[in-house]
Amino acid sequence: MLLGYIIEVVKEIAVAEQYLTEVFNELQNKDIEEILAPGSNAFLGLQQLTRKKLSSFISSIESRADGVEISTKKAIQGNKFIDLMDNEQQVVFCGVHYHGKTTANLASELNKPEDAIRKLLRESFIIIRKNRNDTGIHQ
Amino acid sequence: MIQEYINSGILEAYVTGSASEEEVQELLHMKTIHPAVNHALEDLEKDMERLAQSMAVTPPARTWGKISDSIDELVLRHETNPEQFTERKETDYQDFDKRDNRSQYIEVESENNYMKVQKTWKWVFAAVFILGKIFLGCAIYFYLENRQAQQQLNELKTELRQLKK
Repeated sequence: MLLGYIIEVVKEIAVAEQYLTEVFNELQNKDIEEILAPGSNAFLGLQQLTRKKLSSFISSIESRADGVEISTKKAIQGNKFIDLMDNEQQVVFCGVHYHGKTTANLASELNKPEDAIRKLLRESFIIIRKNRNDTGIHQ
Repeated sequence: MIQEYINSGILEAYVTGSASEEEVQELLHMKTIHPAVNHALEDLEKDMERLAQSMAVTPPARTWGKISDSIDELVLRHETNPEQFTERKETDYQDFDKRDNRSQYIEVESENNYMKVQKTWKWVFAAVFILGKIFLGCAIYFYLENRQAQQQLNELKTELRQLKK
């Protein structure tokens, strides 16, 4: 699952594989304790570490590419849930989930209050939940 | 009140790692005292997993090999003595003979042909050299004396034979 998430961000399987290897290789004792702590979700813990690592990848795209190239490289394609979201929801959800931005950063970028950003984020999750049974994935 | 908190979007921010540290601490506290918050959080975590499952890709077999090699190396280091793999200060090279530093460096046999000795041995070697010279001088002196005495003895014998005739 983690490799699929990385591929959605970096778009290339070889690069994604390299990131996946680095995420596991760079795990510290503190990270492992947090991930395996009772009540915590191991996958989400690993995904959070991956997100932090990928944020530098996104920063490098933003600093090197022009506007059109940035939106192309940052776009998340082929995800049924993302396709169901409207443009604002996509910007917020992808910004937070794939590009490692905080809601405060997005509020500043989009010139909107943070509460509005969180509302959009919540709406994105409602879309995922409502359509989860249509994707053929079972619990 | 609790439903309002759940609907505020803070839970979504938490599962996507975009909440602030204060909000995270508040949420963890709320989670322990309000089962509704805990339940909502679990639902969101399942949503996140479902999203990931929808785009899941099986990693190539070689990927796990790369990861396990690195983990095995870390385990081996931990079991023996991880300190020996830590980098030391440059000045530690000068104190190689110290017991603690030996494990960090590989001992390589020196190709130098010279031998180090204590300075006090210099005087011992000088004394042996001088005594050697003195004994050599004495030996030459007594050898020459002995040869001269033999010559004189031979001359006396010759004179005695001539006198007898």
